[in-house]
Amino acid sequence: MVTGKRNNVVVLSSDGEDSDYSLTSNRSFSKPKSRLLVTRSNPRGAKKARLSGSRPHSRKQSSKFDDIRYYCEDFDEVYNGFKVSAGLQGSNTQGLWVDKYKPRSLEELAVHKKKVEEVKVWFEDRLRSSKEKFSNQVLVITGQAGVGKSATIHTIASHLGARVCEWNTPTPIIWQEHLHNSSTGINYTSKLDEFENFAERIRKYGFIPSSFTGGSKSSVILLIDDLPVMNGKAAFRRLQNCLHLLVQSTRVPTAVLLSDCGKTDSADLTARCFEELQLYLESAGACKVAFNPITHNSIKRTLSRICRQERCNVAADQIDLIANASGGDIRHAITSLQFFCFKPDPMHSLSICDTTTISSREKPDVLRALDDGFSLQFGRDESLSLFHALGKFLHNKRDSENGMELEQAEFIVQERLSRLPLKMHAPEKVLCQAHGQARPIADFLHENVLDFLSEEAIDDAWAVASYLGDADMLLATFRGMLSRYNEAENVLQSAAASVAARGVLFGNSHPLPSRWHSIRRPKLWQIERSLLHNKNEMAKRRFDGHSGINLSDMSIVATEYTPVFKWLGYGTTGGMQQVSMQLDITEDYFDKMKLEDKESETTDDEIEDW
Amino acid sequence: MAASSSSGNTGSGYDMPWVEKYRPNKVVDIVGNEDAVYRLQVIARDGNMPNLILSGPPGTGKTTSILALAHELLGPNYKEAVLELNASDDRGIDVVRNKIKMFAQKKVTLPPGRHKIVILDEADSMTSGAQQALRRTMEIYSNSTRFALACNTSSKIIEPIQSRCALVRFSRLSDQEILGRLMVVVEAEKVPYVPEGLEAIIFTADGDMRQALNNLQATYSGFRFVNQENVFKVCDQPHPLHVKNMVRNVLEGKFDDACYGLKQLYDLGYSPTDIITTLFRIIKNYDMAEYLKLEFMKETGFAHMRICDGVGSYLQLCGLLAKFSVVRETAKAA
Repeated sequence: MVTGKRNNVVVLSSDGEDSDYSLTSNRSFSKPKSRLLVTRSNPRGAKKARLSGSRPHSRKQSSKFDDIRYYCEDFDEVYNGFKVSAGLQGSNTQGLWVDKYKPRSLEELAVHKKKVEEVKVWFEDRLRSSKEKFSNQVLVITGQAGVGKSATIHTIASHLGARVCEWNTPTPIIWQEHLHNSSTGINYTSKLDEFENFAERIRKYGFIPSSFTGGSKSSVILLIDDLPVMNGKAAFRRLQNCLHLLVQSTRVPTAVLLSDCGKTDSADLTARCFEELQLYLESAGACKVAFNPITHNSIKRTLSRICRQERCNVAADQIDLIANASGGDIRHAITSLQFFCFKPDPMHSLSICDTTTISSREKPDVLRALDDGFSLQFGRDESLSLFHALGKFLHNKRDSENGMELEQAEFIVQERLSRLPLKMHAPEKVLCQAHGQARPIADFLHENVLDFLSEEAIDDAWAVASYLGDADMLLATFRGMLSRYNEAENVLQSAAASVAARGVLFGNSHPLPSRWHSIRRPKLWQIERSLLHNKNEMAKRRFDGHSGINLSDMSIVATEYTPVFKWLGYGTTGGMQQVSMQLDITEDYFDKMKLEDKESETTDDEIEDW
Repeated sequence: MAASSSSGNTGSGYDMPWVEKYRPNKVVDIVGNEDAVYRLQVIARDGNMPNLILSGPPGTGKTTSILALAHELLGPNYKEAVLELNASDDRGIDVVRNKIKMFAQKKVTLPPGRHKIVILDEADSMTSGAQQALRRTMEIYSNSTRFALACNTSSKIIEPIQSRCALVRFSRLSDQEILGRLMVVVEAEKVPYVPEGLEAIIFTADGDMRQALNNLQATYSGFRFVNQENVFKVCDQPHPLHVKNMVRNVLEGKFDDACYGLKQLYDLGYSPTDIITTLFRIIKNYDMAEYLKLEFMKETGFAHMRICDGVGSYLQLCGLLAKFSVVRETAKAA
């Protein structure tokens, strides 16, 4: 069946490498497991090959624990290790640095020590002691992308001498092919189907580690990184059920990785789903560890270590910049560093003068040094390239003498409305270089501008606030909408950005002598995010309570029910079930509410009509 | 530079779009964004391309960079070692799961330091589900396959993908950079022109190389001569000089003249959106007192918003001019 399927696929001659690898991996551990664990088809082999192939050292370390047990594997690993190292020697620059400098020991992990310890202890407890002692065998690790969730698991596993088994889907057939050969009995399976099957197998047979290492009790950690995507309620339900099943039935320590999207302001459906999923898993009895973004300093340490090993000299402040720009995402920082180290040869005269100008200009002003656009193109966090533009606007440096000649030619402006010429390019140009979107610029300016106004200048504050308000008004149409690249919207966006920037420049008529201010992130975003979260939470409760019928208005839920429940003592988050029961009881109460609601709505409408 | 890029000159009888005809084949020839292009050049020479996201406004050379890079890296193997998918291809979740994965597993003999490349153009139009499906594939096959994504806004790429890629930002091209390239094309095609014509093309392009070349070709094939008049006839934008006169009239206090100018434009059949878009760009570059510029921009923004809301009437434009005059009066020194 499998081969039949593959023959239909175009790129088939492909897996020389695969079969090659899977041969080796089969020898050591896996025939029964590959049946049991996941899949029937071949691509699985490639995955395993990566597991064993890419981390030979960690395996070696683990083998210290029990030489005999891992005898087979050791052999295998030597073989693999040989292959890998040969590849590496072939060309020194090969490979992504992210893979090349994977953490190999607990010390090398950039994750916070306490968190690592926490996870380690969790696994240790479950691996060392008997299975029955702990009721929950599932650990949920959350955190934004690139904070080392999976790296932590792998490293800890190798430290504890356990093997990590990842759940992985086989390459599916595409829909067209399915239609084409629907008669041959090959079924289309979505990723969700695969996951369901997997959970079912776990429930039925358990995940039996003893079956594949010659009866000895090898410790295994199951890692689920790649959860299927769910769109729509139905798929979400199914996934929920699967996970529930998994949490209930698994007898192997299992880690589920959920990467939450940091910015949920887009109100993305999947982001919300993940949040819900996480809560659900917790309520089903899983432990949860949340990873924070990696600190600036540990990113810097890792980057400079890599720099030393690669023998590329990158200045400390550039490392600092990259670390800053990554926003706590170490994988991105390393990737950026690799890209950054593609420096043009010294032969390129331009690059040399580029660096020299930077180092010469560096002293007077840090912001100025950033200005040369050196590493500004990179970095996930757009706010860094934004920062120096913001710095320019906020510091508001102007020439000391009046170059009024130009304006005098045409038109004389009143004394109080005239300003000295700016000591920078036109604000529009600065904005364009900063790659900034209008909305964050306005928000950042709003958050920070007051620090830069002099104490007495209340008039300035007034002017600035009014212009920022105008900019906000211009942006109002974009709120909650995804911005598109469209000519009409472009004008509005750039008008708003210009008004915000120029308003700040113009309004601040008594700029303070420049001194160091840190630029803060807008608090507004946090507030908006928690607002959204609250709203979602409430909508969900309402939904649960009414089995899908929208009976009451959101504002009523907020102002009347929630306080009442709190008062009754149901206010805690765990009491969702109780709350919904309570809601059922008070159904008639709702109905009354609904009537009143309607009335008030109609009056509202009338007012609007008038 | 001209020699290298006009290699597709063989079928000169055909009117091949100049955008395609003069698309640079080498990373060196790419105009603008020097720092990024330098690094891409080094990658083209040394290999070992990391996963990349190129983001920036349209017409700044993102796709061209990736294609040129892939060609230089892979040379004769291009056909088998590159998978190119853009928004016109089916890139649903299944395609990502199947096609890209199959491609990643495919064995191609390449020199050391070279990898297969998956090019995903217009990646911001991929659904987040499809992007999620890309996530693991990107990691698992990183020693044989690398990804290059091009998009307009990097924030549309989900964070896990962003985290796996180096982000390269492209910004709009400067007028000089566009002019340089235009001159190359003009000389290669022997287009008769006056400098003002090219200036007009640059104005209409607004930092977008593709648009500049298209406008140039359109003007040439329409009129066989590139001057200001012809350019604006082809691009059908309100003539910037005309609009500029309007603004100058307002600033000089000649409100009637400004209104007359507006009437003329309106009678030519330009929609208020056209007029106000040009007006905004004129004001952006017009040399005037800081306060005036700020207020003018603000008012233009508001007027634009109203027009977008559906009040696209002549009266709105007149009102805008009147507001300009009011601003001018309040700002005028006694």
